[in-house]
Amino acid sequence: MGKQIDLLQGTLDMLILKAVSLGPLHGYGVLLRIQQISGEQLEIQQGSLYPALYRLEHQGLIASEWGESDNKRKAKFYSLTAAGRRQLHSETEKWNRMAALIASILRTTSEEV
Amino acid sequence: MKLFARLRSWFRWIVKPRQLENEMETEVRFHIESYTADLVCKGVPQPEAMRRARIDFGGIESHKDAIRASLGLRLWGELCTDVRYGARMLRRTPGFTAIAVASLALGIGANTAVFTLAKAALFDTLSVSHPDQLRLLAWTQDDKSVVSSMWGDVYPDSKGHYLAAGFSYPVYQQLRRANHQLGDLFAFRDLAGGRDRLVATVDGQAETVTGELVSGNYFQGFGVGTILGRPIEPADDIAAGGSPVAVISDTFWARRFGRSESAIGKTIKINLVPITIVGVAPRGFTGASHIEVSPDVFLPLPMQPVIAPKGNGSLLNDSEIWWVQVMGRLQPGIEEKSAQASLAVTLDQAVRATMVVPKDRTLPPLTLIPGDRGWLNYADRQLQQPSSILLALTGLVLLLACANIANLLLARSVSREREISVRLALGAGRARIVRQMLTESLLLSMLGGTAGLAVGYLGRNAIPQLLASKWDAVPVTGRFDWSTFAFTLILSLISGFLFGVGPAWQATRSAINAGLKEGAATHTRQRGYAGKALVVFQVSLCMLLLVGAGLFVRTLVNLNAADTGFQQKGLLLFAIAPPTVRYPAPKNVEVLHEIEATIAALPGVESITLSEEPLLAQTASNDDFFPDGQPRKPGPPQTAMSNSVGQTFFATMRIPLLYGRAFDFRDTPTSPNVAVINQALARKEFVGTNPVGKTFHTEHTEELDDRYEIIGVCADAKYADLRDDPPPTFYVLYQQQKDARHGMTFEVRTSGDHGTLIGSIRAAVQSVDRDLPLIDVRTQTEQIKASMAPERLFAAVTSGFGGLALILAMIGVYGIMAHAVGRRVNEIGIRLALGAQASQVLRMVLGETAWLAGIGVAIGLAASLLLTQSLAAMLFGLKPTDPSTLAGAALLLFAIAMLAGWGPANRASLIQPMEALRHE
Repeated sequence: MGKQIDLLQGTLDMLILKAVSLGPLHGYGVLLRIQQISGEQLEIQQGSLYPALYRLEHQGLIASEWGESDNKRKAKFYSLTAAGRRQLHSETEKWNRMAALIASILRTTSEEV
Repeated sequence: MKLFARLRSWFRWIVKPRQLENEMETEVRFHIESYTADLVCKGVPQPEAMRRARIDFGGIESHKDAIRASLGLRLWGELCTDVRYGARMLRRTPGFTAIAVASLALGIGANTAVFTLAKAALFDTLSVSHPDQLRLLAWTQDDKSVVSSMWGDVYPDSKGHYLAAGFSYPVYQQLRRANHQLGDLFAFRDLAGGRDRLVATVDGQAETVTGELVSGNYFQGFGVGTILGRPIEPADDIAAGGSPVAVISDTFWARRFGRSESAIGKTIKINLVPITIVGVAPRGFTGASHIEVSPDVFLPLPMQPVIAPKGNGSLLNDSEIWWVQVMGRLQPGIEEKSAQASLAVTLDQAVRATMVVPKDRTLPPLTLIPGDRGWLNYADRQLQQPSSILLALTGLVLLLACANIANLLLARSVSREREISVRLALGAGRARIVRQMLTESLLLSMLGGTAGLAVGYLGRNAIPQLLASKWDAVPVTGRFDWSTFAFTLILSLISGFLFGVGPAWQATRSAINAGLKEGAATHTRQRGYAGKALVVFQVSLCMLLLVGAGLFVRTLVNLNAADTGFQQKGLLLFAIAPPTVRYPAPKNVEVLHEIEATIAALPGVESITLSEEPLLAQTASNDDFFPDGQPRKPGPPQTAMSNSVGQTFFATMRIPLLYGRAFDFRDTPTSPNVAVINQALARKEFVGTNPVGKTFHTEHTEELDDRYEIIGVCADAKYADLRDDPPPTFYVLYQQQKDARHGMTFEVRTSGDHGTLIGSIRAAVQSVDRDLPLIDVRTQTEQIKASMAPERLFAAVTSGFGGLALILAMIGVYGIMAHAVGRRVNEIGIRLALGAQASQVLRMVLGETAWLAGIGVAIGLAASLLLTQSLAAMLFGLKPTDPSTLAGAALLLFAIAMLAGWGPANRASLIQPMEALRHE
């Protein structure tokens, strides 16, 4: 079991968008996939999942559709919209930029100051 | 883009709440089942797996709540709940709800009705294209102005000069040629007031109609077309001999022609001149003079000489008489000041080119006034001050109603203390509870507002009805449109806040602990003051309204009792205006004389006379007055009021003659001109000498240098206005005048039935000429009453409001005293048990009531002394600080308040000590 890290709201949204970008998923599937692609290192808090999903749908970044799950049960599948794709792209860029920036700050040795 | 998506999603879930519910439920269940299945796969036994899954997932309801919050539905959900709860609370106390909604409906409704009126008087504009661009040319007239003859209305401005908007026709033509700044200037003149009205004969039936003379580019200038036929065109301006065509208004078309298309091309007679109808104006178009009502016919300006001759007949080449209104459009981008300056120069040049300007005379200074409200609406401030005062009064009444409701709500919140304490203890934020109580108040005020809208709609004609007179309809009906709705809505919201915020805030101030305990007696002291302050406020407002009502009612009474100087009872009035087409001067004098003789012979007629100006009809004539043998005084020419009257004038009107004689058979059209002056004129011009036998002359443009011999002096009688003192006046005999172009008003003294007499008079006039209708048939008393219409309106409205205020104040006082007694039952029981008499308790409670009422009355008195100063101009016969009115109002209010407090006081004195001591 991975550690349950407290994620900022924005980060959770980004992760959900990424998870859904790899293919339509229902809510539980999103949870599993994030866990999976993080190499079992990351587990999302269950209480914040559905509010986040509904919020993203409210903002038009993901779209939902009722379908059938593997065991023939009715489930709501989420997929990425064009706007969501754009959002994911820009958020990823921002994250990478921020990470690089912070990393370079942390790499500074005493001589470079 | 995101915002749009958010709105769409929000709206979708608002509309389908149950679907949202089902979807959430399904999704959440699926999640828990999947998680359980996974756990089972990992080897956890089924019941344990299910338990773990549920715990890990968390509460389903809190999930749903979080989902709803993230969808932005929380606020809406809470609002819906609050509204439902509030509705339930209101249903549970129907008495309170009924009183509150009723008082709000009356308050808001009255405000709405007055608002529509005020809007028409102050804000509505002509319904033409771009009314804000319109500019009316105007100028100010003072004593030295070169313009001495005018046909039209002037209005006093703040500096004591007169604002006029009439120009001479030659000047207009020059202005039009030379002007470049205001587009194409167009001209018009209304024929709507008093004697300017026209007689239209359609299919042999004659009636009085109103009209407007317009230039050829008038319709173009307004950007208005016709719904049928063609408008007045520039070609009509230059047609030789005038173009006898007319455009009729939509109302006239409906009334006389039943909206049939055959009206176009039909020939009717206007003042006996054959006119062909060529078009029908659109429905909302009301011409350039008024906003509420359209003139019935639009005629080309060059038709003036035959339709409405003045002066020497045609005014089209007359440079002396100024009469036509001129309007233009200020094109966007042109600065108003520069346009006005260049036009002023053009006007000066035009005046010099058309008139001889003596050295001591000034040229009229031009000013541009906004044209979007028409000339008469702009200048006639008659309705402006009354509208503002009425609005203030209705505002006060609404405030009273709100104070009442606030008090009732305060009282109710005490009984809800328990409920609120519980909610606070359970963790509700104070803001949440205040929000809920505010929603209840707003619900109440919205109900009241809706009812008020209905009241306002029904009552919007009440005020104009009070102002109108039977024959001279003042159709100042306000338009009931979206701005009225907006006003009512905003007023409802404000009222809701006003009476809701205080009690809501107050209610949440209680310490939770104390509220939960039984018997919250410790807090009564604080609560009491808010309610009492409100009642004092109510009483003072009521005092203000009562004082206002008293002042206006007494003004009306004083006006009714004012001595007019003549006998007004039993006088029948009507006007006859012989059209000049058939009766050029002096034939019109002769026909009037013939009519006078014919009517005098009718049974039931005690005596008959005529006058150029009817008395107390707010019109008057004046003329130069130069006593012979006296040196001319320097400065403006001496004038006096004048009236051209019949031979039996003084006998018929019962104006006593003091010296000399009245007109009699010796005075004929060929004998020397005679005149009778009144005492005021005698005192002004003939101090210390006997005027009888002296002569004076006038210099008139119509008559030659006329000399008159004074044959008598009569007592003073009021002339145009009931409020003014009788002005210095001289009376001449109409038969000795060369012209009676404007028609005359007949005064018939009779003691019999008016209905049959009017019938026989009409027949008599028809026997002289079939085409002469009786204009404005009324009695002298009705004429006088009509001039008091604004005062009557105010007296009626303020009395109504005063009565309403009294009722509201009574309810307020009763409510607060009942509440106070209810809280003190315990204490009173103790007092009684310790030996107090019932009468002492009675006196104690009454004493409190007296305090409240006394302070309220005192504050109201002080406010009245301050505020009624602004009413001074509207009163008659008493000052705004009239002591008897103030004292009367104070006593009445105090008495009513004590009466209201009697009930609770009585109940307090009847309390049984043993029951009271057990009371919580």
